[in-house]
Amino acid sequence: MTPFKPVLLEAVGVPDGYSITSYKSRGGYAPLEKMLAEKQPVDVVEMVKSSGLRGRGGAGFSTGLKWTFLPKDHPGPIYLCVNADESEPGTFNNRILMEDDPHQVIEGIILSSYATRASTAYIYLRYEYPHSWHRLQAAIDEAYAAGYLGKNIRGTNFSLDIYLHRGAAAYICGEETGLIESLEGKRAWPRIKPPFPAIEGLFRKPTVVNNIETMACVAQIARRGVDWFKSIGVPADPANPRDPGSYGPKLYCLSGHVEKPGCYEAPLGITARQLIDEFGGGVWKGRKAKAVIPGGISMGLMTESELDTPLDFAGPGKVGCLGLGTAAVVVIDDQTSIVDFLHNSCRFFAHESCGQCTPCREGTSWSLRMLERIKAGKGRLRDLDLLLEIGQTMGMMPGSTICGLADGAAWPIKNAIKKFRGEFEDYIKRTNPSGWMVTDPVPALQIVGAH
Amino acid sequence: MIAQRKVLTDEMVAKIEALAPRYPNRQALTLPALHIVNAELRHVPLEAVVEIAQVLGLAPAEVQDTLTFYQFFHQEKPHGKVRAFVCRSVSCALRGGDHLLEHLCQKNGVEPYGTTTDGELTIEPAECLGACDFAPCILANDDLLKNMTPEAAEAELKKPRARAT
Amino acid sequence: MPVVIVDGQEIEIGADERLNCIEAARRAGKEIPHYCWHPGLSVVASCRMCLIETGSRDATTGKITMVPKLVPGCQTPVKDGTVIVTESQTVIDSRARVEEALLIDHPIDCPICDKAGECLLQDYHFEHGQAERRADLHPFTSRKRDVGPTVTLFVDRCIMCTRCVRFTREVSGTGELMVTSRGAKEEIDVFPGFPLDNKLAGNVVDLCPVGALGDKDFLYQQRVWFLKREANVCGGCSAGCSIHTEHNQDTVYRLKPRENPHTNKWWMCDDGRYGWHHLHDQSRVLAAGRRRDMATNGHGTPADAFDAVEWADVTTRLRSDLKAAGRLAVAVSPMLTVEEAWMLCAVARSIDPEAFLAVGHVPTVGADETFPGGFTIRAEKCPNRKGVEAVVALFDPASRSWGDLLAHVEAGNADAAWITGGYPTPWIDDATASPFANLACVVVQDLFDSPLTKHATWRLPAAGFAERAGTWVNVAHRAQSFGQAIKPPAGVWPEGRLFWNMLGRRGLYDPVAVRQQIAGSSASLAALAGEIPAHGVDLRVGQLA
Repeated sequence: MTPFKPVLLEAVGVPDGYSITSYKSRGGYAPLEKMLAEKQPVDVVEMVKSSGLRGRGGAGFSTGLKWTFLPKDHPGPIYLCVNADESEPGTFNNRILMEDDPHQVIEGIILSSYATRASTAYIYLRYEYPHSWHRLQAAIDEAYAAGYLGKNIRGTNFSLDIYLHRGAAAYICGEETGLIESLEGKRAWPRIKPPFPAIEGLFRKPTVVNNIETMACVAQIARRGVDWFKSIGVPADPANPRDPGSYGPKLYCLSGHVEKPGCYEAPLGITARQLIDEFGGGVWKGRKAKAVIPGGISMGLMTESELDTPLDFAGPGKVGCLGLGTAAVVVIDDQTSIVDFLHNSCRFFAHESCGQCTPCREGTSWSLRMLERIKAGKGRLRDLDLLLEIGQTMGMMPGSTICGLADGAAWPIKNAIKKFRGEFEDYIKRTNPSGWMVTDPVPALQIVGAH
Repeated sequence: MIAQRKVLTDEMVAKIEALAPRYPNRQALTLPALHIVNAELRHVPLEAVVEIAQVLGLAPAEVQDTLTFYQFFHQEKPHGKVRAFVCRSVSCALRGGDHLLEHLCQKNGVEPYGTTTDGELTIEPAECLGACDFAPCILANDDLLKNMTPEAAEAELKKPRARAT
Repeated sequence: MPVVIVDGQEIEIGADERLNCIEAARRAGKEIPHYCWHPGLSVVASCRMCLIETGSRDATTGKITMVPKLVPGCQTPVKDGTVIVTESQTVIDSRARVEEALLIDHPIDCPICDKAGECLLQDYHFEHGQAERRADLHPFTSRKRDVGPTVTLFVDRCIMCTRCVRFTREVSGTGELMVTSRGAKEEIDVFPGFPLDNKLAGNVVDLCPVGALGDKDFLYQQRVWFLKREANVCGGCSAGCSIHTEHNQDTVYRLKPRENPHTNKWWMCDDGRYGWHHLHDQSRVLAAGRRRDMATNGHGTPADAFDAVEWADVTTRLRSDLKAAGRLAVAVSPMLTVEEAWMLCAVARSIDPEAFLAVGHVPTVGADETFPGGFTIRAEKCPNRKGVEAVVALFDPASRSWGDLLAHVEAGNADAAWITGGYPTPWIDDATASPFANLACVVVQDLFDSPLTKHATWRLPAAGFAERAGTWVNVAHRAQSFGQAIKPPAGVWPEGRLFWNMLGRRGLYDPVAVRQQIAGSSASLAALAGEIPAHGVDLRVGQLA
């Protein structure tokens, strides 16, 4: 595979690449100046729509299309919330973008705000990225000083303020309405929809929530053009009118049991095997992969034989995973117990469940307790059926929960048990020879360290 | 009526008020206010919650509701001068994160979330710190400690460290 | 008219009605189970118990398209063609799972929990739940937490519906309750030093679907399946909140608000809610008595000074005493029903055709208090001033007040006075009572003795609000009729019964007959005719300005 020349990551390794001087020397902010001088907001929306850009935060919804959901002729204010809460396990590409090329993100934000007529953009930044905080704030200050932010930018009647708003270590703040509730100063319980944020979002005003990497893509589309963007990735299937394609470069995070964990930029659609072998130096220690997470832990697991699945928006779904998610690929080698993996996953989701709706609050807690008991050698085969039932019934997709955290909690359970059932059964039978067959309820273990 | 403030300093209140123009209502200042107090005091005691509520025009229960949701702000006493978040999510766990946490707790004589008796160090499990390229990792105040081994982590956490911002 | 299809049954709803699926299904006689939804609070759709299948029927083709996943009935508005399915296997399974989830950690406290018998978790478990537990077995905790002067929280019974928190934020506007922590560890709590202490606090107990929130006033007092309930009206102020009096063996155990969109909607205030204890106060006047020796007027305790008189004798001796005395002045208490007020006026005029009729003392405390959700507690602490005023005006258009009566007596224009009270709390002082010292005959008919008692010739008991049937008219001219919940203490004739007998009417006191008579003979009270609906009737309807 010919290596892809990084675009989103072009500043990585460049001395002072995060400064405005460096950014401008690479062509940054010229597209913004041109757009403000020559184009109307609706033109920018059209540009992003026709580029086929799909949100990079995990849902993969068409960015330009989402922008058109804003009410026309709304008196305002309209808000842009930039989701920098990146907390999906395995994911770290937003961190690198913010630390190493904050101006790329900021130019994208300004362009997006111009397009959506947002007057204030809040970057909701997770607490655990203090370095990003400092870099972003310095870049924002530089942008104000250079006249790209504030009142009447570049002599137009477009004004914009960007404010950093810091989170406090809760994963659910990455859910768009959870983010909004958190920004408003309340507990981050996602809202029921409708109304959708485009109609009634932050402070009950029309709001768009976009991911950091999506913002960077907007800046690059403005600089290099729609055709450039569409020349990369996987085109829409002409036979399927509802397929929006998987266009553009993608930042793939590779971690876990590989020789070279890191963030790698490649066209959408490379396979997990290509990513691991050609970018990641292969599975570590000469081992083989047992399972690979395709896009953040919420997406579930692919088996070793499924590693040739293209990592585009459509690929992982074809092998029973939830989707591409954040394209965070985590490799689990063949010496790792799948029971340990699933326990880790259940522990994460039980800790992060916001607790608002019954199936997720109780389902994540119940599944953790079962995994704890299984790990401790007191599991039953029946537990696997109960876990599968929880996995199949909790989530936005069956309609039983308010947000998709439950789906994210469910998919690892479903994939792990369906694709590795033999290993679970072996473990349970081996560690609980006297009790694996019991079907009646058994005494609980005492939980240690879930929260 | 301005009640006598016992915990929030004038400086803290000034910092909170400086952010007020950014938001159309006072409640949105809640999380920034909690961070401002926490950065100074390394915890947000109940009395501070009452005072923040007064400054923002909210009921104390509303502020406390938000505060406790995050499972992030210590309330009873300050956390250590160094607050070490040890990642335990999947990528770090695959490369020894759980063992790292256990080792550090044992060596420092604390339970997870606990603070050493000299008040220097708090060790807490964290969920994905977003540094999986350097797993297993620890966030100690503002410093990301990368590719940690138990021994390296032990040594790092003994070092004095700039206060977290 | 929009048509909604509920389990195959077509239901017409009003063109301007905004209903959710729960409300629409009710019209078809289907009750969609739910915990967190309440018509008086914001919609959160978090309990997930009301998940149903929905779809729409095409207006032209009639084709039904179903939404491929479950949706909460509480957050889904219906319109013409909405299809609701409440009993498919998917829905049944979903409910069973929600029940199971809620019961995983719920302490099975039923034998010691107040809510047993009216607990939604119990009810839904039997109707919709699974027969057997599948989750691990573990000892339950059942912690008690004091959240305020009137409410106790049994923390572990809570199912996190958040109705109580939403109530304190949206309706009382006081914000004392909060959720703490996150996920399965969440609990309800108050901030230390800021307890649940507002005048509407008791409503959170009504809202709690389970036994998590308990009313300290009612805790452990009575099993709910022994309680009978009467539709009453609160006598605490002129708001006239509709209530249920819940009682057993002629003892009141609690009052609950009764839904009335015109008066209190779903709420009542704590003063009203807990304002029934006076009914069982041992110091109530419990027998009719006549002062033995007029020389003791102004002195002596009731036990010493009054001889008990049989009620049958009261009707005759009272009349003769008053007739003998001369000019009669009557205070018609705003605690009396419209029917009682009318009969009292009629009795008075039958004794003295020129009897001075006045509306009795109207207790006022502070100012009207309106809460953010719209609920108002009235400063006027009596339920029927408007009704009594209207009745007295039928007999005397001058419609005099208590102040007028006091002046009338002080000026020496009366020889006898009949003061009806029925006030639950002290209402008169020595100074105000002193003019009555000089009258030949004073009848005091009240719940408790007061500074007036020492001037009384006749000391008669009064009925409490739950011990009478009749009609009250609230501040907004709404007349509500209610039945008698409990019998008064032995030895007490409610005012209605005494007046009925003094009018020479036969048989048991029939307030409905009196009301029909009043309606038939007056324009201002014509709306009282016929059957009065449960929510009452606006007296101004049908009247010219």
